[in-house]
Amino acid sequence: MNIFINGEQVSLFEQASVADALQQYLTEQQQALTFAVALNSDFVANSDYATTCLTEHDTLDVLFPIQGG
Amino acid sequence: MSFSIYGQALSSRLLIGSALYPSPEIMKKAILASDSQVVTLSLKRQNPNAMGGEQIWRYIQEIVNVKQGFLLPNTAGCKSAKEAVTLAKMSREIFATDWIKLEVIGDDYNLQPDAIELLVATEQLIADGFKVLPYCTDDLVLCQRLHDLGCQVIMPWASPIGTGKGLMNPYNLETIRLRLPNATLILDAGIGKPSDACLAMEMGYDGVLLNSAIALADNPVAMAQAFSLAVASGEKAYVAGLMPERQTAHPSTPTLDTPFWHHHGATK
Repeated sequence: MNIFINGEQVSLFEQASVADALQQYLTEQQQALTFAVALNSDFVANSDYATTCLTEHDTLDVLFPIQGG
Repeated sequence: MSFSIYGQALSSRLLIGSALYPSPEIMKKAILASDSQVVTLSLKRQNPNAMGGEQIWRYIQEIVNVKQGFLLPNTAGCKSAKEAVTLAKMSREIFATDWIKLEVIGDDYNLQPDAIELLVATEQLIADGFKVLPYCTDDLVLCQRLHDLGCQVIMPWASPIGTGKGLMNPYNLETIRLRLPNATLILDAGIGKPSDACLAMEMGYDGVLLNSAIALADNPVAMAQAFSLAVASGEKAYVAGLMPERQTAHPSTPTLDTPFWHHHGATK
């Protein structure tokens, strides 16, 4: 199936979870960074990554801390 | 007088942004020079190959540790209550704080807050345990509604974000101060000069939040010190009590025993 991570199309196996998607999208080093996730514009808690399954055309936002005013 | 945000005592009434500095090093020096204990920051998508954001994040953590300060994540870029609520929840997980500088923008031209979406988001976030610091316009009724919803802190704009135009409508800002005596009022956005910050404090505002005026100065570190002094000066002046404005001139030198007075009288 295809989903979108930060606007980029990513191909994943069926029944993939948020954790699977992150593992594929981010390198091991990047997975150690600080980030938070939203699925179809809803917050997904870190503790739910492994149990939240994705479906075709889902959109995942992976956000990182940046400077802000 | 002591200053606190949602019960957290703070030594400085200046809240500072972390964006737009010429370099991360200057950002760090400027924030340290400002004496501020509250640093705003944000969350954005980022190309995973670009590690610049992680460096900024490390710097901000260092600053907060040194100053025993606090992070104030914002919801910049959000245009609906739903987006803002989601971003607030993501921020709470990452930054481990229930403080949120709530921004819901309604107009791309002047980045004016969307009052209606702001109220919707505020209600949902307060119900979810957040301590909301709403960025809003200088509309008394909107500020009143935000206060009624449970916002202890309200942050009306001085003028649109990043314009440096200063206090566009002092009457509105003074009215909000007068009518909401129990709210913690922080002037946010549009401040260009230290005198703008000082003026807000002289009005009785509890604090000032700014970013561009420091970050875009020729010397951000020196400007951070200037703003620190201006905020402290304005607060001291407010506590000291400003003299009442008068319509006509009053001599400051005593008139009794004025020399040569009889010359004026002698001509009549």
